[in-house]
Amino acid sequence: MAELQASESKDEPGSSSVVKIMKPPTTRIIPPLNFCPVERQLYRSAQPSIINQPFLKDLNLKTIIWLASEEPQDDFLDFCSNCHINVEFVGLMNEYAYKNVNPWDSLSEGTIRRALEIICDKENYPLLVCCGMGRHRTGSVIGCLRRLQGWNLASVSEEYRRFTGARGGRIMVELLIEGFDINSVQVDPSKLPEWLG
Amino acid sequence: MEPKEEVKKANPSQESGMEENERVDNQTQSDVGTLSPKARYVPPLNFSLVEDGIYRSGFPMPINYPFLEQLGLKTIIYLGDLGHDKKNKSKSTSTDKAGDESKSKKEKDKSDKHAAGEIWQDYQRWIETTDIRFFNLLMESSQEPFIMDNEHKQSEEALIRALQLILDKRNFPILIHSNKGKHRIGVLVGLMRKILQGWSMSGIFDEYEKFAMGKAEYDLEFIELWQPELYVNVENKPDFLRL
Repeated sequence: MAELQASESKDEPGSSSVVKIMKPPTTRIIPPLNFCPVERQLYRSAQPSIINQPFLKDLNLKTIIWLASEEPQDDFLDFCSNCHINVEFVGLMNEYAYKNVNPWDSLSEGTIRRALEIICDKENYPLLVCCGMGRHRTGSVIGCLRRLQGWNLASVSEEYRRFTGARGGRIMVELLIEGFDINSVQVDPSKLPEWLG
Repeated sequence: MEPKEEVKKANPSQESGMEENERVDNQTQSDVGTLSPKARYVPPLNFSLVEDGIYRSGFPMPINYPFLEQLGLKTIIYLGDLGHDKKNKSKSTSTDKAGDESKSKKEKDKSDKHAAGEIWQDYQRWIETTDIRFFNLLMESSQEPFIMDNEHKQSEEALIRALQLILDKRNFPILIHSNKGKHRIGVLVGLMRKILQGWSMSGIFDEYEKFAMGKAEYDLEFIELWQPELYVNVENKPDFLRL
């Protein structure tokens, strides 16, 4: 039932604008570790390496949100400046007012808020959110974004854990996502991406 | 199913004292400049964006319908066995819970151990309330793809039809789903990554595994080795296609 055969496009192989695909593209592209589209023109991943550059070029990125507490590698920064990609450093170690911050500590709520305010501005798209491995910091921000979108918490956690690798999710990250005050994110409604509107 | 809007505050960060005051302020000044908390949306199991205009998931349940409605879907492709007659498979003995032996059970097939018939009917009814075009393509799970030739053929045909639909952006946004959103959809997405986008196999396997979480059977071999013949009208080709 409900199967509408007629509307399936049957382009005749003879027509001039129809191309036959017999093999994969000759040049392969390599996605960064933990790469995944999140929403239209919004992506997540681990820190891209040189081998990922052709892949990244195809995304036509305008902005990258860098969430790790350390600076990214130089070749990555060079690539970004060559491609005129604006790198937003959110969550760098020296941005913390207090001492004894470890790279594996969770993001602060303020850091997540800043990242979300960049994500909530469509001027910044296409946009990649990344950290060292694309697991916990990226997962925290995307998790809070999903809450902003009105997702239920179980689905948010399912998505977070999908990217955390064999050692699984961290309870502190899930607590952070659960407790994050979505009302604290300041947005300009006229700049919201359409899927957030 | 009415999840509560306010989650109890569990704030693991170090800055809790200050935050508490801010929160009170935010609540009194209503939602000027903030996103008002919307109704909760429940995406289907294993839901994800694949590319702009293509989503993947497991089988949508009634609790997921409001979420799906806001995606504005034009097309749904279902790769699975629900809604098709199970010919040789009805041997699986029914291990229903003892309590569930009311009248509804008699109407259904004995092998229907997860109320699949009811889920299917709910789903069909929901689709009829939308303008979504629904393609129900039978694809067997690839337990022994190199042995069971008939089912293999059928699966290949289903995959070719699905790929052809994906190659026409007039069908977007599309939801592709199977029962769990793991294996069959993993194969379809893997083929799309390989043939249409030219991803490296390692990236494809990594993505497959994120959703399948073990039990790949022969799916990865199939993704790697199978090459169908496809046609694309350049005028309607999706943006992610690399030729």
